[in-house]
Amino acid sequence: MPRATARTLAIALAATCVAAAAADYARLPGGEFASVLPQGATPGSSAVARIAPFELRTTPVTRAEFRAFLVLHPDWRRAQAPGVFADAAYLADGPAADDPPGAGDARPVTEVSWFAAQAFCESEGGRLPTWLEWESAAAADATRADARADPAWRQRILSWYAQPAAATPADVGGAPDVHGVRDLHGLVWEWVDDFNALFVAGDSRTQGDPDTLRFCGAGAISLADRDNYAVLMRVALLSSLQARDTLRSLGFRCARPLPGDPR
Amino acid sequence: MNHPAPSRRDVLALLGSAALAAATRAAPPPGDSVYQLHPRLVDQDGHPFDWGSTRGVPVLASMFYSSCEMVCPLIFESISRTVAALDPPVRDRLRVVMVSFDPERDTVPVLKETAAKHHCDARWSLVRGSDADARRIAALLGVQYRRLPSGEYNHSSIISLLDAEGRIVKRTTMVGDVDPALVAAANSI
Amino acid sequence: MRLRLQSLRGTLHRASAFIGLAALAALAAPALAANAPGDFGPPQGEPIHATLTSPPFVPPPIHRSFPAKVIVDLEVVEKQMQISEGVNYTFWTFGGTVPGSFIRVRQGDTVEFHLKNDPANKMAHNIDLHGVTGPGGGAASSFTAPGHESKFTFKALNEGIYVYHCATAPVGMHIANGMYGLILVEPPQGMPKVDHEYYVMQGDFYTGGKYREKGDQPFDMEKAIDERPTYVLFNGAEGALTGDKALKAKVGETVRLFVGNGGPNLVSSFHVIGAIFDEVRFEGGTNIQKNVQTTLIPAGGAAIAKFRTRVPGSYVMVDHSIFRAFNKGALAILKVEGQEDKTIYSGKELDSVYLGDRARPNLDAVAKATESARQGTLSLQDQVKAGEALFTGTCSVCHQANGAGLAGVFPPLAKSDYLAADVKRAITIPLRGLTGKITVNGTPYDSVMPPMSQLNDDEVANILTYVLNSWSNPGGRVSADEVKQARAQGAPAATASGH
Repeated sequence: MPRATARTLAIALAATCVAAAAADYARLPGGEFASVLPQGATPGSSAVARIAPFELRTTPVTRAEFRAFLVLHPDWRRAQAPGVFADAAYLADGPAADDPPGAGDARPVTEVSWFAAQAFCESEGGRLPTWLEWESAAAADATRADARADPAWRQRILSWYAQPAAATPADVGGAPDVHGVRDLHGLVWEWVDDFNALFVAGDSRTQGDPDTLRFCGAGAISLADRDNYAVLMRVALLSSLQARDTLRSLGFRCARPLPGDPR
Repeated sequence: MNHPAPSRRDVLALLGSAALAAATRAAPPPGDSVYQLHPRLVDQDGHPFDWGSTRGVPVLASMFYSSCEMVCPLIFESISRTVAALDPPVRDRLRVVMVSFDPERDTVPVLKETAAKHHCDARWSLVRGSDADARRIAALLGVQYRRLPSGEYNHSSIISLLDAEGRIVKRTTMVGDVDPALVAAANSI
Repeated sequence: MRLRLQSLRGTLHRASAFIGLAALAALAAPALAANAPGDFGPPQGEPIHATLTSPPFVPPPIHRSFPAKVIVDLEVVEKQMQISEGVNYTFWTFGGTVPGSFIRVRQGDTVEFHLKNDPANKMAHNIDLHGVTGPGGGAASSFTAPGHESKFTFKALNEGIYVYHCATAPVGMHIANGMYGLILVEPPQGMPKVDHEYYVMQGDFYTGGKYREKGDQPFDMEKAIDERPTYVLFNGAEGALTGDKALKAKVGETVRLFVGNGGPNLVSSFHVIGAIFDEVRFEGGTNIQKNVQTTLIPAGGAAIAKFRTRVPGSYVMVDHSIFRAFNKGALAILKVEGQEDKTIYSGKELDSVYLGDRARPNLDAVAKATESARQGTLSLQDQVKAGEALFTGTCSVCHQANGAGLAGVFPPLAKSDYLAADVKRAITIPLRGLTGKITVNGTPYDSVMPPMSQLNDDEVANILTYVLNSWSNPGGRVSADEVKQARAQGAPAATASGH
């Protein structure tokens, strides 16, 4: 076997080992959930949403895991990914497929577009979580599934927003919440499947530019719980993005249906 | 409906555009082309629809769901009127692709019914794929949609004009009326 | 004859019909309709790149007689800066400063606005300019993710001074973190010339820790909702406009202040101690109020205050909800230098309000000292006690009762190396005042102390003796004679020459 092929094979094997070892999912029970985004048909009206149980990665996808993905999916390497799927800053700070394992491997991968994140999740039999799934998971703290009434929960999240973006985020693996999920707050922003549908008017009949709903007045009106600043920030950030965009502080994690669930 | 037999000129035009299409399809699409995506789609006749098959001609693309009472019929109407307002050479080449973001309920028979309801002729393709494909196409076309617990969708109304290489050259949110800027952009492709 | 009349009438008929048609056409043609007021037609000439300035400076007046296309490039930067000495806060800024860059255009200009969001930022931002006629004031069209740029164009139809701010949800937090500034739309004929134009903007800030609690401080949403600010500041930091950053002018000059209030919550009662505004364009609108002591500036509003300086001194700008000035930091200085004019201001107190009745008690000590001096039995203790009483009534206003001074504004007298170094120089200070840069105990000060010409020799001597024997100063004694000699030497006001 030629050396180049052997080397690629070795890297691929190592990559799959890393990928297999790191893909840790926790079960989320779903259930009824009162979202910050109105679920009713008219602006401002909120209906309680029902979320089916699902599984969610316990940490954001790491640089090591994404590197393993790039080895097996060269179409998604920085030089190969077409502009319609990823902007010019895609993986500007790596990882790259032929990087050796090294320091920084446990950091969440950022500078990835929504398309790239979707492709990664599909490669391990998953998908991006929906906003509702993400929001319901993020409502938890160490002891409760829904800690949103606690000002301390809100303040903890706000203080991350108040810090300027760190040049490099810290490693994944913070304290687990009541479901065993980590790092939903305080590390990176995260893509969701329907990130671009968060500010749509409650009423489909309102014509015109969806952008008119992206600024404060309408944003405040069309969100059910105006006091929940912590969540508003996240909705605002996601709504400003297009699917090909990448940010230094934006990563992702995957969700997947329960084993045996036909969805 | 009776179609007049194609004239010699029509045949030549058709062959010409097909040749052009084939030639352009030989090279890979540019990095900013929607044809980089390879969704698995089916049209209103139940035939597999090759997303890249419209490469080589201008395309008006949008998204809809059949159960939509108000806005989607307006989108169909807008596109029809826009097509009617085009210069004849452009009109002859242009295709319309409408992608459903409710594939669960928009089965092939439902798509066929919707096409008939809006008098869609041969240039229209109403297609469905998986949820994931619908989400990706929406991301490319800039369409926002969200399913409510009631089964209704909240969604934006955007009509995109693609050039022969699948690049989005114009978008309009004007629904119900013809957008003159969109017509002008299509005429200049 | 008849025929000619008929043909004339026919011509007239045709002519009037023609005119009638033309009139109808004119009415029907929308292109001939009048422009909106403030719309002076399409831009002319080459596009202009607007000069933006950082506070407290203002771009130069516009000398242009036609509407132009003006390109404004404004960048959003999230950065950590000091809000008070030793206190760090993460501000979100337009142009790297709080308030953001000052924008100056002319009424009728077509402004092409580029909003850029630094890729290193964490948040998406947009901008709402109160001078824009259009959805969200531009906010609808400028929602920008980090690493992106948005562009929109508007015509500045209304002249005036307008606030701009970020309008991304949650708006209160974006504003509280410093995302506001001013845009001036000059009237077409320009504004009357003045000697100085300055940009001052008040804001309230909400931190997790207490006022002046050191370290990195987070934004506190509960306090913001309850409208309990920790800091109320001009230009985003304590000391932003004091000390060597004080605004400057000379005696006899006209000063125009563009004063904004970003909020997010508080209304400002803007007042300059020792000055009266000759003219205030209250609310930044077209009408002018004259002879104003204190003007209200609403949150999200602005005003233009103009006055002429007449006597030298440090003029303290405050929010006259006064605890904000002295306990939350809403204090800025305009330093005016030049010749005194005793006919306007004799040099007694800066503001008699502050004496209150602190001068009342212990006048006995002064009486006793005077009596002892007359009898030739004046003791150190007498002088110290008398000096203390006088100090309380005159000096403590600025230097504080404990001699600590006011950081960045008035130097301390407690354990002052400056005093100890040269007592003779110390004597000249109450006599003739002190202007310019000095360093006291390692901290630089650059203020104006007016001469205390209401004090006579023994009062100066007693005050100095009290000061020298208080707060770990080296001790010593100053006699009325020494003061008399120093006064006789008659040099002009002491100016610091280095240290």
